[in-house]
Amino acid sequence: MIHDSLIRERLVTGGKTASDVTRDIARPILNKPSTAWKVGFTLSIVFLGIFIVSLFWTLWTGIGTWNINKSVMWGWDITNFVFWVGIGHAGTLISAILLLFRQKWRMSINRSAEAMTIFAVICAAMFPVFHMGRVWVGYWALPLPNAFGSLWVNFNSPLLWDVFAISTYFSVSLLFWYIGLIPDIATIRDKVKTKTAKYWYGFFSMGWTGSTRTWARYELISLILAGLSTPLVLSVHTIVSTDFATSVIPGWHTTIFPPYFVAGAIFSGFGMVATLLVVARKVMNYENYITIGHLEAMTKIIMLTGTLVGIAYLTEFFIAQYSGVEYEQYAFINRASGPYWWAYWSMMFCNLASPQVFWFKWARTTPWFIFIMSIVVNVGMWFERFVIIVTSLHRDYLPSSWVMYAGSLTEIGLFLGTFGIFFTCFFLFAKFLPVINMSEIKTILRNRE
Amino acid sequence: MAIIDNNLSLRNRNKMLVGVWEDEDKLIEATSELVHAGVKIHDVYTPYPVHGLDRIINARRSWLSIVAFLCGMTGFALAFWMIYYMYVQDWPVDVGNKPVRFTPSWVPVLFEATVLCTAFGMGFFFFLRNRMIWGIQPELLDDRQTDDRMIITVETGDHVDENQVLKIMKAHGAVELRERIAGVQTAL
Repeated sequence: MIHDSLIRERLVTGGKTASDVTRDIARPILNKPSTAWKVGFTLSIVFLGIFIVSLFWTLWTGIGTWNINKSVMWGWDITNFVFWVGIGHAGTLISAILLLFRQKWRMSINRSAEAMTIFAVICAAMFPVFHMGRVWVGYWALPLPNAFGSLWVNFNSPLLWDVFAISTYFSVSLLFWYIGLIPDIATIRDKVKTKTAKYWYGFFSMGWTGSTRTWARYELISLILAGLSTPLVLSVHTIVSTDFATSVIPGWHTTIFPPYFVAGAIFSGFGMVATLLVVARKVMNYENYITIGHLEAMTKIIMLTGTLVGIAYLTEFFIAQYSGVEYEQYAFINRASGPYWWAYWSMMFCNLASPQVFWFKWARTTPWFIFIMSIVVNVGMWFERFVIIVTSLHRDYLPSSWVMYAGSLTEIGLFLGTFGIFFTCFFLFAKFLPVINMSEIKTILRNRE
Repeated sequence: MAIIDNNLSLRNRNKMLVGVWEDEDKLIEATSELVHAGVKIHDVYTPYPVHGLDRIINARRSWLSIVAFLCGMTGFALAFWMIYYMYVQDWPVDVGNKPVRFTPSWVPVLFEATVLCTAFGMGFFFFLRNRMIWGIQPELLDDRQTDDRMIITVETGDHVDENQVLKIMKAHGAVELRERIAGVQTAL
C-alpha cells in the first residue's frame, strides 16, 4: 500500500499539480525573455567577447603572450583547466550518484547541474587545447597513424589518459543529459504555438509519446547510465590528478591526490550549482521547486566535501614532514610561508575554515548567505589549483631556475572569458530548455513513501 | 523478435478504445482491472514514469542491460586491440629496456573506451528499439498526454468485448472515453 508521507518534508511546495509543473517550468520558454535574462545574457556576451579577443591575441602572437616560463610552464592555464573540470563534476554527482542513492531532492536540480557539467567541460577543454600552441595540429593528441613519421601516442602518459577521459566524460554526459531531456522536450513541443518552435522541439523530441514500454526502457537506460557515470566521474578527476601525481615534482608526487582531487571537484561543483540556483530560483520564480530544503542539502555536501579537502591539505602537509624527504618538506613549508603564502592561506580559509559555518542552521537556510559562501568556495578552489601548480613549479631543483610567476593580461582575459562561454551557454539553456526536470518532478508531487 | 518495437506505432491498427485519466492511482486500478478481466492492453501513455505499470500490462523485461554489457565488452576488446597494435606490435617503445607488454598504465584508456562504447551502444539500441529518431512525427492521442493526462489504449479484435472494456474504464475513473478508427478519434 502506498501512503502519503507524514514525516518527510515535501520536496515540492505550494500544492502543485502536474499541469502546474508544466506551466511554471515552461513559462520562461513560452514567454518573451525577461529583463533579468536580457541583462544577464548581454553581460555574458561581453565576457565572451573578452575571451575571443584574448584568444585571438594568443593565436596571432603566440603563447609568449602568456607569462608562463621555463619553470612555471603550467600557470593560470592548467589552473583554469582543473578548476573548470572540477566544477563539472557536481553535475554528474547529482544526476548519477544521487540517483543510485535514490536521493529524490536531486530531481529539482539535476537538469541544471548536468547542463553546468557540459558547459564547464567545454570551458575546461579550451585551456589544454590552446596551451598546445599550434592548435591546428591538436588532433595529434588522438591515436592516429603515424603519417608524419612520428610515433603513436604514448599510452603511459596521463596526458593521453586525459584526452580519453575528458572526451568520454563530455560525450557520455551529453548523452545522459539529452536522454533525460527528451520527455521534457516533448512536453514543450505540445505546448509551443509558433511553427518554427513546434518544428524544432518536435525534431529533437524524437517522436516521444510517453508509452509505458518506452518509459520502462528509459528508466533502465537512465539507471545504467548513472551506474556508468559514477565510476566515470571518479576516473576523470583521478586521471586529472595523475597528471600531477605521476611526476617527480615535490608537492605533486603523492598518492593522496586522486581522492583529494575528487572531493575537491565535488566541493567546487556544488559551490557553482549553489551560485547558479540561488539566483535562478529567485529570478525564474522556482522557489516552490528549489526549496530551502534543497539549498540546505547542498550546503551539507559543501561542508562535508570542504572538510574532506581540508583533511587532505593537512594530511599532505604532515606526510611531507614525516617522509624525511627534504624536497617535499621544503615544498610544503614554502607553500605556507614562501612568496605565495597569501594564495595558500586564501585556499585554507576558503576551503577548510569557511564551510564550517554550515554547522549552523541559519547559514544553511539563508539564500543570500549561501550565495556569498558559494562564491568563496569557488575562489578557494581556484586558489587550490593555483597553489598546487605555481608553488611547486616556481622552485625548481636548480636554484638558478627559481622564478616568480603572475598571470598576464591575456591569461586573465582568457579566464574571465571562459565565464562568458559558460554563462552564455547557461542563459541560452535557461531560455530554450526546461531548467527543472518536469517529468521527474511530477513523480514526487505526492510525497509518497 | 524485431529490434524495433512495433507495438509503439499506431499506424494500420484496428479500431482502438481510448480512455483518458487524470489520476495516477485510478489509472493503475483501471489497468489492473482490465488485465484481470483478460483484456490485452495495447499501451498506456503517461506524462511521467508510473512505476509498476509495465509489469501490470505484462511488457517484456528489456534486454537493454545485456546489450549494454555486450557493447562494453566490444569497447574493451577494441581498445585492447588498439593499444596492443600501436604499442606492442607496430612501434614498440624501448623505455629503459623494460618489456613492452600489458601494464597497468593501459587501464585508464581501456576503462574509458569501455564506458564510451557501453553508453553509446546502449543509447543507439535504446533509440532503435523505441522507434526514436530525430524528426520523426509523434503519434499522439491527446495533446495533454505529455502534460498531465494519462491514456489507456485497447485494440479491438476477435476476443475483445468492447462493452466490458468501456464499462471497466468508466467504473475506474476515466474522464473521457473515445474510439479511434483509421486514425480519427470520436468521443463515446
